[in-house]
Amino acid sequence: MPGWQTLYTELKGKNFAIISVAQDTGGAKDAAPWITKTKLDYTVLIDETHQVTRLYDMVNVPTAIWINEKGRIVRPNEVAYVDNRYKALHGLEASEYLNAIRDWATNGDKSQYVLSEDELRERLTPQKEEHAQAAAEFALGEYLSHKGLEKDAIPHYKEAQRLNPDSWNYKRQAWALSGTEAEKEYNTNFGKEVQKLGKKPYYAPRRLKKE
Amino acid sequence: MWKQSSAISVLLFFLIAGITAFAETKSLTVIYDEKPTAVKAMLTETKDVWITMKDLTRATRFVVKPQGVCRDELCFPLPKAQKSNFIKKQGSVQWFNLSEFARLVQQPVAFNEQHTTWYFGARAQAQNAHLESLEAPNFTLPDVQGKKHSLSDFRGKKVLLVTWASW
Repeated sequence: MPGWQTLYTELKGKNFAIISVAQDTGGAKDAAPWITKTKLDYTVLIDETHQVTRLYDMVNVPTAIWINEKGRIVRPNEVAYVDNRYKALHGLEASEYLNAIRDWATNGDKSQYVLSEDELRERLTPQKEEHAQAAAEFALGEYLSHKGLEKDAIPHYKEAQRLNPDSWNYKRQAWALSGTEAEKEYNTNFGKEVQKLGKKPYYAPRRLKKE
Repeated sequence: MWKQSSAISVLLFFLIAGITAFAETKSLTVIYDEKPTAVKAMLTETKDVWITMKDLTRATRFVVKPQGVCRDELCFPLPKAQKSNFIKKQGSVQWFNLSEFARLVQQPVAFNEQHTTWYFGARAQAQNAHLESLEAPNFTLPDVQGKKHSLSDFRGKKVLLVTWASW
């Protein structure tokens, strides 16, 4: 988060805003400690029902979308690391991405990283029926979790994971809610799930340049 | 005499039918557009949820009109031949099959019978509306102090929308 603050301080004079949304079923209780560690003056929101994940069909964090002054998407969701803390795991260079954002903040829609409508439509894939069903199962699980019925939420989280197996959000959020019981409840863990990927990358490859 | 007894049996029939219908109703929580509403519902064997027209509007803001099931400018016409799958009258009460309607509009439904909770989710088709318009779907969420912010408040600025999580 201090990384995003640095970038925001640099670019806020260019009609540029950052909205950072915590995908946390536990709400402020879980997310706040991360926010208050540093003084932030960009917008940080709490999304207890993973609404943004559903609306933009996201499967992972950190993920970002670029939206222009007219409220239109100019880059679809893609992995968005602000620093190289986990570079050993995913191999993505943060500075390439931050430079692309700088280019956009300066040049707006004329930026070389702003995609044409045709390319956007090609990159934005329609949400599958199963993903909509998965989102409903996940949301019902969250409703039960919020009522303190954590155990009874688990079958719904499992169903969401089955219907949308690419979603790390559905896996990792559900495990986090089960705490130390997670491995027992879900009969898996992060390491095992990463292994299942085989040669598939953890994040969908980022295609920064126009094609 | 004949007339009277048949009238009584007709009355009895309705009375029993009424009682049976009443005995079948359950208190359910219907979650629609993320908003939970307590309703009286009839549950079929296949777990279809029938609710009263009044509750339909209360829980979903949809209203049954001659042209279809409508909310704001949106109207879903009901297939004429299958109207009885959607609407039935029992005594003076009209019931609406919310599950059949969900199938018609291709809306996902998840339920937990133990906790009598039915979740009607967002339709994939509605979710995909932005693929054509490329307009970023709006949302309203609180910050850590509880103050609400909408994406649309940022119109006129370039917005980097980033998601993260504590987990």
